[in-house]
Amino acid sequence: MERRREILVGLVVVLGIAVGVVGTIWLQGGWRGDQLMLRAASPSAGQLVAGASVKFRGVAVGRVESVAVVPSGEAVMIEMSVRPDLAIPPDAAVLVAPESFFGDWQAEIIARDEYQVHPFLEFPEEGVLPGVALPDFSRLTATADQIAGRLTTISERFEVAFTEETAMNLKNLIDNLGLISDDLSKMISQQAARFDELAVGVSESARELAGAARTARTMLENADSLLTDAGVGTMLGDAGESMRNLRTLTGDMREAMAEMRAAAQQGVTTMNRLEGLMARAESGEGLMGRLLADQELAEGVTTAVANLNTLLADIKDNPTRYLSFSIF
Amino acid sequence: MSIQLAGVHKAFGPKKVLRGFTLTLREGETAAIVGPSGCGKSVLLKHLVGLLRPDAGTVFVDGRSVGDLRRRELVELRRKIGFVFQFAALFDSMTVAANVSMGLRRLPGWDRKRIAERVGECLGLVDLNGLGERFPAELSGGQRKRAGLARAIAASPKYLLYDEPTTGLDPVTTSVIDRLILRMRDELGVTALVVTHDMTSAFRVADRITFLHGGKARFTGTPAEVRTAGDDVLRGFVEGDPALYYGL
Amino acid sequence: MVLFPVTVPLSRPLAASGRSTLAALGSIGQASALFAGSVRALRDIGVWGPLLLPQMARVGVASVPIALFIAMFTGIVMSLQASYTLTGTIPLYFVGTMVGKTMILELGPVLTGLTLAGRVGANISAELGTMRVTEQVDALETLAYNPIAYLVVPRTLAGILMFPFVVLLAIAMGIMSGWLTALQLLDMSSPEFIKGLRLFFEPWDVWFAVVKSVSFGAVVTGIGCFCGLQTDQGAEGVGRSATRTVVVSSMIILCLDAFWAAVLL
Repeated sequence: MERRREILVGLVVVLGIAVGVVGTIWLQGGWRGDQLMLRAASPSAGQLVAGASVKFRGVAVGRVESVAVVPSGEAVMIEMSVRPDLAIPPDAAVLVAPESFFGDWQAEIIARDEYQVHPFLEFPEEGVLPGVALPDFSRLTATADQIAGRLTTISERFEVAFTEETAMNLKNLIDNLGLISDDLSKMISQQAARFDELAVGVSESARELAGAARTARTMLENADSLLTDAGVGTMLGDAGESMRNLRTLTGDMREAMAEMRAAAQQGVTTMNRLEGLMARAESGEGLMGRLLADQELAEGVTTAVANLNTLLADIKDNPTRYLSFSIF
Repeated sequence: MSIQLAGVHKAFGPKKVLRGFTLTLREGETAAIVGPSGCGKSVLLKHLVGLLRPDAGTVFVDGRSVGDLRRRELVELRRKIGFVFQFAALFDSMTVAANVSMGLRRLPGWDRKRIAERVGECLGLVDLNGLGERFPAELSGGQRKRAGLARAIAASPKYLLYDEPTTGLDPVTTSVIDRLILRMRDELGVTALVVTHDMTSAFRVADRITFLHGGKARFTGTPAEVRTAGDDVLRGFVEGDPALYYGL
Repeated sequence: MVLFPVTVPLSRPLAASGRSTLAALGSIGQASALFAGSVRALRDIGVWGPLLLPQMARVGVASVPIALFIAMFTGIVMSLQASYTLTGTIPLYFVGTMVGKTMILELGPVLTGLTLAGRVGANISAELGTMRVTEQVDALETLAYNPIAYLVVPRTLAGILMFPFVVLLAIAMGIMSGWLTALQLLDMSSPEFIKGLRLFFEPWDVWFAVVKSVSFGAVVTGIGCFCGLQTDQGAEGVGRSATRTVVVSSMIILCLDAFWAAVLL
């Protein structure tokens, strides 16, 4: 009786201890022999805790043993134990990221050149892998939230800036610009006309002068046979010289006039184009014009931005509704 | 240096059971306290072993006030007193022999063999030879009382207290128990206090009888004196006459 | 004594509540005294030492079948209900998580505690109550035994020592039965279930269960002893004590459950 009782009590105690110890070890991930210890430094640990799984190419190969801030405070040191036969890539780095939406994070061993965009932390110690922690889902949604907020602000400012008054001012400004260009064009035309007149005058006088000279030469040639006088010859040569000079001057002037006329024409064209643009804007053509002219469209843009805002907030609040398929 | 109760008061809530009970036992005598059921006789006995403490008054055993003893001293005192309970109060889960040996196991210098010898002796004294391996449930009422007595005397106490030793027994068994009580006095020389409402038994075993009434010792005397007392209440109790007892 | 005209209609409920308050305070006082006495009685190892093993057998070993039975069905129900609850967005392997977590943290210790309050607590209470009304407790005292050392200490110690083991076995049984249910009735695979089981497992959970069950063991056996020793008025009183033991210890178990959850988690 006594012996049997002893045996039974002992059995329950031993079984209880066995179940407790073996069960705990098993539930923790089983009994593992010698493990390869890896260390990685990351600027942040995210939600990574000791016991989280370590993955390599999506396969669980070990677990995180400890997560601690290094004494200098500039990084988080993550110690991991992985299968001893694991061949990690030479440029291995550690990516700390959420494993699922339920708050458990993992440390993933990756080849660094496949993830070049991430700012891995290089820790100045031998054998410490560079690491980086991805932002938490909540941080992602928070950032999206921020962006949406800024968009809203911009659209609000847009709305405030383009009031009717502003549009009127702009129209007036454009009108004024048209007037000025008209004046300018007129003035240039007048100036050009005057130059023209001047040039025609000069040319005519030159022609007259040439005619006179021809008459004079005929007369003088006739007279030459009569009076061979060197003085007259020289005088006539001089007149021919001055007439050639006058003709050159006239040619130069004509050239300058043409250039000026072209410039004036260009100015007028630009002004006209600007005016046309403004007129189109005023009549509600083109995107800018539509924005200016159509209050509803402007409101539509604002609403769209606000909707985006709401959507992001919703994603933040109910991530599973949008993202669950990619999580499992 | 024996047992002495001096003006003991005891109440349970509003119910005053003892109101200044006084009694002194002489060395070696067997005294009986008689009285109707529920008058506080058992309560009185429990004061002697420190199971109850008096509200007022003092209980002396060997000159020491029981109510003021510390636990260890009380344990020492209890070793000197054997208590025979009304319904034997044997431990159901143990054999008779184990019951009898209970008090001995705690005594220093008592090994298994010595205990077994003493248990046999005590069972012999109460004529229960050979029933040691039985369980209490397998015994008759009289046998159980005797087993209870054997347990009480096992540690050779100086005092024996009997709480209603003959209640619920047939006349023959009653007389067997009475004879045992006398044998204890004669063979062991113990001072005994018997609490009973059975006058026949009291007359048979007691050297002196005290009548407990209204929480006090109303009358104390030898059996002969009790028989001839002129007190109507006592006579009513002894003769079983309600008219006399209640003074109707 | 007519102080107010309303005295008569009000006095009765007032007196009743006052009486029950005093009674409750009195019980707490007596329980504290019993506790202090038990701690003191721990020194009497010669008295309770030999009794410990039989009590461990009685409190622990004999409770294993009923505890396993309860845990088995709890595991099955947990598994089925978890799968029912998780239908839809949440992956099915969370059945493993729910079965494991709830068995270890809550249902294993608490259901075992409540069951043993009925089985062990009532048993102790009835036993000690009977001993009290048949004066066996007094007899112990007259034989120079300290009833607390002889009766209370071995039972309570047995409860404290054995409850954790019974609970650990019950937890294992619950998880096993939940697992089998998941395999047979829910079309889950073992790796799935185990994945869920391990997902949020912390070794601390097991300690939590052990701490809880130690306290439940102390409560069930302690209250059983307390109510048993308080018994009066014969067989009826014994029945009343047994009932009181079950009710009071169940209540205290649930209060303690909340307490540990608040303090340790």
